[in-house]
Amino acid sequence: MSCREVIIIGAALLLARGAHQAQAQEIEHFTPTTTTMAPTKDVTQEQLSAAGDDKNNFLHTNGNYEQTRFYPGKEINTSNIKKLHPAWIFQTEVKESLETTPIVVDGVMYVTTSFSHVYALNAKTGEQYWHYKHKMGPITTYCCGPNNRGVAVYKDKVYLGTLDAKLVALDAKTGSVAWETEIADPEEGYSETMAPTVVNGKVLIGTNGGEYGIRGFVRAYDAETGKLVWNFDTIPENSVGVWATHDPTGKDLLRDIAAEKAAYEKNGDPYKTLGGGVWQNPAVDLKTGRIYFVVGNPSPDLDGSLRPGDNLYTDSLVALDLETGKYICHLQYIPHDVWDLDAVSPPILVDVKDNDGKTVPGVIHAGKTGFVYVHKRDDCSLIRFSEPMVAQENMWTLPTKEGARMLPGANGGVEWSPMAVNPELGLAYAVNLHQPMTYQVQSSPYPEGKLWLGGAFKVIPGEEQFGNITAVDYNSGKIKWQVKTPQPMMGGALATAGGLMFTGEANGWFRAYDAESGDILWSFQAGAGVNAPPAAYSVDGKEYVVVGAGGNTQIDFKRGNNIIAFTVD
Amino acid sequence: MAGRCTDLRRLALLSAIALVGLPAHAQTIEEKAQVCAGCHGEAGVPQEKTAPIIWGQNEGYLYLNLRDFNKGTRKNELMSPIAEGLSKDDMKALAAYFAKQKWPHLDQPAPAKDVASKAQSAIGSVGCTSCHLDQFQGDGTTARLAGQQQEYLKTTMLAFRDRSRANNPGMSDLMNSIQPDDIDAISQYLAELQINR
Repeated sequence: MSCREVIIIGAALLLARGAHQAQAQEIEHFTPTTTTMAPTKDVTQEQLSAAGDDKNNFLHTNGNYEQTRFYPGKEINTSNIKKLHPAWIFQTEVKESLETTPIVVDGVMYVTTSFSHVYALNAKTGEQYWHYKHKMGPITTYCCGPNNRGVAVYKDKVYLGTLDAKLVALDAKTGSVAWETEIADPEEGYSETMAPTVVNGKVLIGTNGGEYGIRGFVRAYDAETGKLVWNFDTIPENSVGVWATHDPTGKDLLRDIAAEKAAYEKNGDPYKTLGGGVWQNPAVDLKTGRIYFVVGNPSPDLDGSLRPGDNLYTDSLVALDLETGKYICHLQYIPHDVWDLDAVSPPILVDVKDNDGKTVPGVIHAGKTGFVYVHKRDDCSLIRFSEPMVAQENMWTLPTKEGARMLPGANGGVEWSPMAVNPELGLAYAVNLHQPMTYQVQSSPYPEGKLWLGGAFKVIPGEEQFGNITAVDYNSGKIKWQVKTPQPMMGGALATAGGLMFTGEANGWFRAYDAESGDILWSFQAGAGVNAPPAAYSVDGKEYVVVGAGGNTQIDFKRGNNIIAFTVD
Repeated sequence: MAGRCTDLRRLALLSAIALVGLPAHAQTIEEKAQVCAGCHGEAGVPQEKTAPIIWGQNEGYLYLNLRDFNKGTRKNELMSPIAEGLSKDDMKALAAYFAKQKWPHLDQPAPAKDVASKAQSAIGSVGCTSCHLDQFQGDGTTARLAGQQQEYLKTTMLAFRDRSRANNPGMSDLMNSIQPDDIDAISQYLAELQINR
């Protein structure tokens, strides 16, 4: 380009800019200020420990450290539920999978959206205080949606896990970043969609990545500084276990132990890329100083030939010492899983009857398998498993090259959806999927941080899919009541002392059920998939129920961007 | 691969060598990206129907594929020599540069109703949107598919299927769970899509 040409072009640009400015002055640009200080108070450890009795706040993803999702308020109850109506709607900027549990502290609500945004809202009016938009790095690997399940709160901070595998601490008043730490290398397949849990000055977090050949973990970070306190590898260096031929319910896993042992002789222990992510919050037993969590599937999901052995501790309930992260006990639900029927739904600490009818501290978990498992807390041993909540067919048919049909499909049963319990009724409420699939296996080597399923799960086109809500008596294992839903369920349950159980559906219906009978007492059409766990809280003595209606990526439910709070006048 | 892109193969090769062999001259990213215009287009519209749109593609995906060309996990006679000489910083910068450009609208035709129907059925059974998201816009390391060149989409899916493109076995497994005529239908369906931002 000649000098003359540059000058002519430069002049033309100047003229054009001038004209644009003249136009711009004719239009008044109004930019509303939606960033104000949230009137927060520091959250104390005492408050977090007593959350189960706190009807003003909703301080934990699953209600309290035991994860019962049982709200102690009674103001909204079976006799006035018919008058429940929207109090306010907040519409986020992000119309994508919404899996957040709203956290409420002294009238300030924190919600998260897909792509790791955080909003602080006025829990009484729904107005925004501040909005944090995480500056996402270019590498985000996630199998099942760019979702986020919520924040944790402690002292003056709000804690968030991000899709690019960071742990971020925000100032609760302003949403500015207090510190940020990279948890693991996202290029290797690590990312975060879970909400963290804060206890005794430590932020506990697991990881995604069982579909990517990671080596899973649960970590504790210092809540003040972000420094790593302890790490627990969910995959030990000796991962082969006992070469179990049956699952703990007694079903034959059809394993070829001889072939596996030969592969082990040849290639050694597969621990480095064995998977075992931890998808959601651990339950915390403050009395014994332990945490209980469940571990996800081995990598690659469908191809067992590359990973001989039981693949510890994938598909297991695991207990650790809270202060040190040291292993205490485990129970593996599916040794050498080749169906991606991993343990995802967060475990719940509740007193249960053992097989002699004695009341003991228990821990329960709802599986993709369709069972609710009931364990003794002291040694993780299995007391009982429930009647199957969904159809089980051909368990455990092995995946084939052409595709083998088995129920449940790879999404379950119970997927990530947290259960709720009503301890007075002795009932646990689980939301299930019935989604027939074929399981195809195709072996391929470790792809260095890319999706590594070792085959494919295919939904069988034309075959009916649906869901259910099941109330299980965890002291007997019997199903107390069950309601069929037209679409598979993803989201979670909330139980209340008002005798209610709330859960939402893909078709937009958010409903309240009678906790004892399963009768539908109230319904609201939210206009997008209600696929998030509900929460409840009080402000100025008035109770609210709140839920996200934004749909789900993993099973392609109608997307939206709403957080809706309901109340009774 | 016929056409102008092939004629440019020598130019690309020479440019690639030039990129690597100029230590004293600090090139800007725009200068480095000029090589790419030869196939991927001056204004982001590719010269050939077989070359993908990279303008406005997701940054993580662009970076990973440059990296895979560089490492040899993905092979292409045009891209491999170009990527070979790139440093990690180059690849990250090029990915960031092209991700910021505007995706060109190629105005590809809508498929016939029965083809669209077939595509949607296959997409539903594989579950493409769980990674590529509901407008097929992708994110991060997952590619945007909406509005990509139809021929490139079809060739790529078939290449995953026969594993001649070997840098994503997960995609290979998924493509093996559907038929070639499903793939043809899907490529037509995706090519016509636009994204509502």
